[in-house]
Amino acid sequence: MKSATAATALRAACLTLLLAWLGCVAPPARADERIGVIAAAIEPAQGGGGMLNATFEFEMPQALEDAVAKGIAIYFNIEFEAYRKRWYWLDAKVSSSTLTYRLSYSPLTRQYRLARGGLSQPFDSLDEALGLLKSVRQWKVIEPGQLSPRDEYEAQVRMRLDVTQLPKPFQVNAITSREWSLASDWREIPVPPAVTR
Amino acid sequence: MSRVLRYGLLFAVALSGVLLFILASASGNTTFFERNYPVLLAINGVIAAALALLVLLLVRRLMKRLWLQRFGARLTSRFAVAFALMGVLPGVLIYIVSTQFLSRSIESWFDVRVDRALDSGLTLGRAALDNVKDDVAAKARAWALELAELPDGAHLAHLNTLREQAGISEALLLSGSGQLIGATGAQVWELVPETPAPGELRQARTQRIFAVIEGEAGATDLRQGLRARVIVPIPPRTTMGSTSPLSLDFSAAGRGREGADTRALGSVGVSPNAETRYLQLTQAVPASIAANADALQNGYRDYQELSLSRSGLKTIYGLTLTLTLLLAAFAAIAGSVLLASSMTAPLLQLAEGTRAVAEGDFSPVREFPGNDEMNVLTRSFNAMTRQLTDARDTVQIKQRELEHAKAYLERVLGNLSAGVIVLNHGFHVVTANEGASRILGRDLNLDIGRPLHALDAPLAEAIVTAFAERALAGMTEDSWQQQIELKRTSTDGSAPLMLLARGSRLPLDDGDGYVIVFDDLTQVISAQRAVAWGEVARRLAHEIKNPLTPIQLAAERLQMKLVDKLPGGDADLLRRGTSTIVNQVAAMKRMVDDFRDYARVPPARLLPLDLNALIEEVGTLYRTAGAPVTLALAPGLPLIEGDATQLRQVIHNLIGNAQEALAGHPDAANPPRITVRTALAEIVEGDAKVRAVRFTVEDNGPGFAANILRRAFEPYVTSKPGGTGLGLAMVRKIVDEHGGRVEIVNRGAAGGAVVTIVLRRLAPAGSTAIAAAAPQRAA
Repeated sequence: MKSATAATALRAACLTLLLAWLGCVAPPARADERIGVIAAAIEPAQGGGGMLNATFEFEMPQALEDAVAKGIAIYFNIEFEAYRKRWYWLDAKVSSSTLTYRLSYSPLTRQYRLARGGLSQPFDSLDEALGLLKSVRQWKVIEPGQLSPRDEYEAQVRMRLDVTQLPKPFQVNAITSREWSLASDWREIPVPPAVTR
Repeated sequence: MSRVLRYGLLFAVALSGVLLFILASASGNTTFFERNYPVLLAINGVIAAALALLVLLLVRRLMKRLWLQRFGARLTSRFAVAFALMGVLPGVLIYIVSTQFLSRSIESWFDVRVDRALDSGLTLGRAALDNVKDDVAAKARAWALELAELPDGAHLAHLNTLREQAGISEALLLSGSGQLIGATGAQVWELVPETPAPGELRQARTQRIFAVIEGEAGATDLRQGLRARVIVPIPPRTTMGSTSPLSLDFSAAGRGREGADTRALGSVGVSPNAETRYLQLTQAVPASIAANADALQNGYRDYQELSLSRSGLKTIYGLTLTLTLLLAAFAAIAGSVLLASSMTAPLLQLAEGTRAVAEGDFSPVREFPGNDEMNVLTRSFNAMTRQLTDARDTVQIKQRELEHAKAYLERVLGNLSAGVIVLNHGFHVVTANEGASRILGRDLNLDIGRPLHALDAPLAEAIVTAFAERALAGMTEDSWQQQIELKRTSTDGSAPLMLLARGSRLPLDDGDGYVIVFDDLTQVISAQRAVAWGEVARRLAHEIKNPLTPIQLAAERLQMKLVDKLPGGDADLLRRGTSTIVNQVAAMKRMVDDFRDYARVPPARLLPLDLNALIEEVGTLYRTAGAPVTLALAPGLPLIEGDATQLRQVIHNLIGNAQEALAGHPDAANPPRITVRTALAEIVEGDAKVRAVRFTVEDNGPGFAANILRRAFEPYVTSKPGGTGLGLAMVRKIVDEHGGRVEIVNRGAAGGAVVTIVLRRLAPAGSTAIAAAAPQRAA
């Protein structure tokens, strides 16, 4: 027990120093690219605006899968941002929206559940739930008239595990362990001119 | 540097205190903190690192001082180590206890039995739910068989009956393709029943049954809440019945029947090749079971969450504790170093001050506010240095006074006409004043430490003898007085030196010594001699003059009476003899007159007199005789008080002397010249300004011989053959009568002599000059 205490203390101390070092020296490191963006495109919606279709690919890390299997809900964010290009200055952000998925498991009914907004859908297996999670269809990201046809736009999308929604102890894990950091890089998407109508 | 460090430390400590508080609060459950927890952690880490850096800096500085063996570094480091230990050790102790406590308590929450109990509960819950499900499934199978016996049209009505009897929440009749044929249930009217997914139907077809427990335990309504749902196929009817379309009377179907309802949806026709129909029963899990299941599930989830996150929790608490410890420890160390520095600062100052005092710098050290011993010590130190300064100043003042006194004494001694010599017991010169040097004619300051015998053997001999005689005589008084005549052997043939010496014993630092005070009596003696000569002359003149006239008369008478009676040769002899006698008597008479004049200079009758006029008057007499006389008379001289007759003789005597001196030495290159000057002299004596008339006669002749110069004003001292030596003596006598001074010096390199007379007795302003008496000699 004593050695375990000492080890914990030592690890904590090391971690502190590491954190301090990180805080001092290293710029905030981007999350590893554990989620791949297979495809992403904006298609014009009927009546104006644009819909995003995107397909992501990732492997659930074992720790995350275990946590889900124990009944802990995890959140995935799909973030979309659109910029108006400006040659004279930094690009201006004109639109940004976030889609939040909540993935949970009920050990009593042995069902997975994927919730998006108010809607939730049960699944018998994790893979089925992830299948839905990984492909986003018909997500209205651009409202009609939001973009002007005169300007050029660029958009980007990414998906990541929302660590901040995790219970606090897991956040510590997320800081220290690679298994808990799950995110994709920003994927640039061209904005078709039709969307700007 | 130190101030920056101190403020940096204060700032860091304050900031870390706030952050630690926030961090500790964040270990509770607040959403804000949850989101910003990593940031907090990082900031704390940064501060810990900054503090660590500070500590490193401080320790390095201290080590450097130690290495350089700077004064006070050892004490500072000792203080610092002690303070740091006092600060850090309890912290470490608390830290160890806390982490151990933490780890133990967290581990104690998680227990295999609790784990198993929760699993069992879960299994129990599942079993209860399965029980409900199995119950529904059994009912569904039975009802399917029952329905199979009925024509399709009667299905719904019968189902409704069955459902109501069994108390099933909802029953659906589905076509083979999954389309809703009919529905009956408590809430059918409020919500459109959901049709099963295709996969579920497929499973029902292949496995003859699909049963599931679904829903969320927390929800209460049928659609969301926990429920058992069973789908079974209804076997095709063995005997085909009527194919009349089933029409359901919605209104009659049972509005009145306790909320239960039945309805058929769409126009459902039963095709001849009737495909398999499906029956779906949905039964809400009883509320008590659902609530318990919900509680169970929540508890399970929380437990699992905790269980999964316990390492994370431990890390959080450990991190918080460690950060606290690090911050506290670093702050303690840094604080201790700074505190130690500030504590030893007065000491260092004192050390500096001590060194400064040792080097003679008594400037006070900086005093610190406060009343502790260190500051009191500093103040005492300053008081001490002040006293030292005062003492030193006093000593310096005393010393200066002493020096002044000594200088004054030396000045007095130096200006003393008497000579003073201090000798040690071996008769070596210890001190001698200016007067001694002057009298003895050598600079005795150069002879300090030399024996007196080496300097002036006769004097030394006389002194030693005098002291020895005193000692031999056994006299108690050691001082003596005696006249010492020193024979001079120098080449200038100066007269012997007469000294009146007084000697006495003087205790010196290194034993007995002697002090000799002596005066040059030569002048005094010469003055005495002059007086004596005057007396002698007067008597001689009286005594000699009386017989002279009879001698002269007798001689003339002899000549007159006998010259005719004698033959030629004898008459000539007689004439020569008498003439010689007469001449010699006349000469003797003249000489006697001179003596008498000298001895009996009548008292001067002092009247206002213009000296310049007198000189001009006398000077005209010498215009044409001998060496030319140049008069350089200062105009506007004040009148003097003088006796014209006597002063005229003085001028005569001086110019005559000069003429005689020049007469014997014709020199082509240096034509003889006599210059007579007068000038107004002003000297300052004390407060008063004294005016005098100076009268000089100078010539460019050979000057006086040294032996003559000394005694030039004594009677019968002369360098001239046939001179009586009374000329200058007379001058002096007259000048003395006038209260003036006369000096004679050789002109040095230029050659010649200068006689200077200073007449100080001036006529009162406003008096007029008495016309100079006729130039005739005083009788």
